[in-house]
Amino acid sequence: MLEFILVSTLNGVVYGLLLFMVSAGLTLIFGMMGVLNFAHASFYMLGAYIAYTVTRHIDFWVGLLVAPVLVAMIGVLVERYLLRRVHSHGHAHELLLTFGLAFIFEELVKLFYGDFPVNYAMPDHLRFAAFTIFDADYPFYRVFIGLVAIAMFVALYLLLSRTRVGLVVRAAERLPVMAEALSHNVPLVFMGVFGVGAGLAGLAGAVAGAFFPTNPNMALELGIIVFVVVVVGGLGSLAGSLVASLMIGVFSSFAVGLDWSLAGLLSYVGLGEWARAVGGLFTLTLSSISGTVPYLLMLIVLLVRPAGLMGERN
Amino acid sequence: MTLVWRFLPLTLVMVVLIGLPPLLDVGLQNVMVNVLIAALFATAFNLLIGQGGMLSFGHAAFYGVGAFAVMHLLVAIERGGLDFPTPLLPLAGAVAGMVVGLFTGYFATIRSGVYFALVTLALAEMLHALAPHWEGLFGGEAGISSMRMPWGGINFGQVIEVYYLTLAWVVIAFGLLYAYTRTPMGRLTLALRDNEERLRFMGYNVHATKVVVFTLSATFAGLAGGLLAFSNEQANYQLFEVHISAQVLLHTFVGGSTVFFGPAIGAVIFTIFAHVIGDITRSWMLYQGVIFILVVLFVPHGIGGVLTEHLRLRTHIPWRRIGRPYAIAATAALLITAASVMIIEFLEALFSPRYFAARRQVDMGFPPFERFGYVWEPFSVLTWLLPLVLGIVGLFLLLRVRHQVAELWSEARESAAAQGRPAP
Amino acid sequence: MSSETVLELRGLEKSFGAARIIRGVDLSVRRGERHAVIGPNGAGKSTLFNLVSGLFAPNAGSILLDGREIAGRSAHRINRMGLSRSFQITNIYHRMTVFENLRIGTMARHGIRFSLLRPVSSLTRINSETDALLERIRLTGRRDVPAGELTYSEQRALEIGMTLATGPEVILLDEPTAGMSKDETAYVIDLIREVTVDKTLLVVEHDMSVVFGLCDRISVLVYGDLLATGTPDEIRNNAAVQEAYLGEEAASS
Repeated sequence: MLEFILVSTLNGVVYGLLLFMVSAGLTLIFGMMGVLNFAHASFYMLGAYIAYTVTRHIDFWVGLLVAPVLVAMIGVLVERYLLRRVHSHGHAHELLLTFGLAFIFEELVKLFYGDFPVNYAMPDHLRFAAFTIFDADYPFYRVFIGLVAIAMFVALYLLLSRTRVGLVVRAAERLPVMAEALSHNVPLVFMGVFGVGAGLAGLAGAVAGAFFPTNPNMALELGIIVFVVVVVGGLGSLAGSLVASLMIGVFSSFAVGLDWSLAGLLSYVGLGEWARAVGGLFTLTLSSISGTVPYLLMLIVLLVRPAGLMGERN
Repeated sequence: MTLVWRFLPLTLVMVVLIGLPPLLDVGLQNVMVNVLIAALFATAFNLLIGQGGMLSFGHAAFYGVGAFAVMHLLVAIERGGLDFPTPLLPLAGAVAGMVVGLFTGYFATIRSGVYFALVTLALAEMLHALAPHWEGLFGGEAGISSMRMPWGGINFGQVIEVYYLTLAWVVIAFGLLYAYTRTPMGRLTLALRDNEERLRFMGYNVHATKVVVFTLSATFAGLAGGLLAFSNEQANYQLFEVHISAQVLLHTFVGGSTVFFGPAIGAVIFTIFAHVIGDITRSWMLYQGVIFILVVLFVPHGIGGVLTEHLRLRTHIPWRRIGRPYAIAATAALLITAASVMIIEFLEALFSPRYFAARRQVDMGFPPFERFGYVWEPFSVLTWLLPLVLGIVGLFLLLRVRHQVAELWSEARESAAAQGRPAP
Repeated sequence: MSSETVLELRGLEKSFGAARIIRGVDLSVRRGERHAVIGPNGAGKSTLFNLVSGLFAPNAGSILLDGREIAGRSAHRINRMGLSRSFQITNIYHRMTVFENLRIGTMARHGIRFSLLRPVSSLTRINSETDALLERIRLTGRRDVPAGELTYSEQRALEIGMTLATGPEVILLDEPTAGMSKDETAYVIDLIREVTVDKTLLVVEHDMSVVFGLCDRISVLVYGDLLATGTPDEIRNNAAVQEAYLGEEAASS
């Protein structure tokens, strides 16, 4: 039992940090530009695939370096030549464009790499146990993912709060017109933020893709959860994203291993047999519906408090 | 516009829809059924976005719910001995769509814009995540399958019978949806889209109005799903996938959401396109995505919008003079399309598992590959020069003719505006 | 409260966060009068309108329409009770025709809400009333033009028309002549005078000639406080008002 709790918590925290790496960019972009980028998780996927290709031909660590940079460049191009074009048509068009982009990225990946997962694996020298819990080895790579995410958070935080660039970015987020009036190149800032956001997602993909499956569906799978994180945490709030990511990460991790059900609960009051006979909703286990809960959470947040945990009332 | 001209397109379409299918083979008849269903789904979707101004990313929820409702009825008839007229089965889809739509719409329409879109997405995803685990309602991962039972002397075993029943339902549904646009509620829906705040200050309960529009849209989406289940005799949780919501979005916007028949046009084109192209190339979804992006970027009102603009300004467009630029633009588009298709198909061939196997046989060299009935050398300059040249020529022509077309159009618009101005 | 008073504000307060925008306003509008609210920018005039028309609720105080409390009630309910407002920034259905814009209001007045069973073209009474209103705001020639394509002053006229379409007793006009030339202003004021003949009008305005020429009584709002209420002459001669507001106007005119 204790083992389960410890391992689940560790896994949950790592998964949560991974989610944060991907959602950090999205929440920054939304907070600043009001654009909800459906293609954001595609950057995650592209990062994984680019890293895979570079790893195959050169080296894993080079891949980790190259992937985020290339993805950031793709992000900049997307913002400059595509998003900016439809900006004047309104938010609905932006949503549609990013939606279409996500579609296209998935198909392009399938074109070049096929429909099935590719064998992007961590290098052998990282394949060891960080420590042992109750006779089971805990893989170092999971810790590595967490470390990269933490490093990223610290770097972002320092960048935004301590540097001039960060100041300009934050100003542009609050009052873009004012920032522009003060002769800051706001379109450049937007482009930069979009690029950095994409690059972060790319880094997350490059790191995580070596551990989790790398397939054309990974953008879709992660993408919607990332939306949940961003909404629950509060659109535009980095701290909120972190909290929400950890919450959802830990929850998912625990829920997958728990067979609790309403019938089980009711058996405490002697109605277990009846509930099991009724079936349906009563016999659904937490592990099987664990996928539903994040969406339920997002739904509740959207309906009750759209600003999320730490976002600003918009 | 004279009465004959107004009803001619519709009459032609009806003639084709009624008269053509018996002449087609079963596979194509099936495609026609899917075309009708897709057209209905898209038009139902457009009630929400094109008319009501509410963008939903989860319409698959009602589509799927409608399908499952019909499946349950089919099962009840087939195995449970329920006596229910087979032709009325799709109605169950509509009712299911209405009930679920009313419930979810009440909550979803509390929010608007991006938040609304996310709520609809969350609802569909919840169903998608829940369904494979809920055996009773959704048949778990395998889904539910059954069989259509004969009724009223008709077997309903043949595709052509299913087709005509689907046609009947779709025609009725389109009739109702079109009539809706003529009712006071239909006009209110447009006001909702244009300026919901003003509507509030003119004495209308905006939330209630939105719920009604949402529910109606869900009802017809459920009907479409019900027709699908009726045709396929099976339904599973994959009907709730975001790809389904994406498809209807694609159809609606490429066809044009500002015109009543726009989404239907988009649905017809894409469904037939998928069928025809899907057999030829594996990259057909990529093509769909590219077309969609191009439409969003350059033709925001879709095909329907373009057609109606031409119709609206038909007396002002200088047809003689615009003929040549249009022909050049069409040629340019053809060239660019050919170039893009060639490049994409070449890449697809080079990266396919089949080519990899072929490479193995020549010691990991780069053997020639076959496409479009020709053999190409992967590293030959000619292979890549051909599409490149086609593409560049096409682009060049397009850029040159763009200004001409734009000028002629502003001429047409000015002429129309001058006519609209009241006499001094 | 006498039947003479159709709209009454008592102790109205509104703050946004720490900023007190409306600081205890008492105002009585008499039935059938034309009442202007003037004041420097940022005085809270639009906020006052927003409170009365139901965009948001006050923090304290009450608003009585015909003796019934409307403070905090929803905007659509207040409109159904007979109060209608126009907007400073034109708020129309830009993709619908001018006629349709007005018809929405006429439909509202006749209680047509979820009507699904008949074509709107069959509602002859509503259609003819809408045409009559179209005539009154002098936009008959632009009947079938999409509202977004009208000129600025035509849109302002439509804006007033839409406010009237729902058949209100009390009309709130928020800077109806904003951004207009002298001729356009005269035209719109003429229009307002005509269409508010047997109604109660509350208008926010900056143009003093309009205010003094059109209105029976004037209230002066300065930084959320109602400085004075009275006839144009009384206000013109009010020392506090002169100091706070009109002095600048008189100096600049």
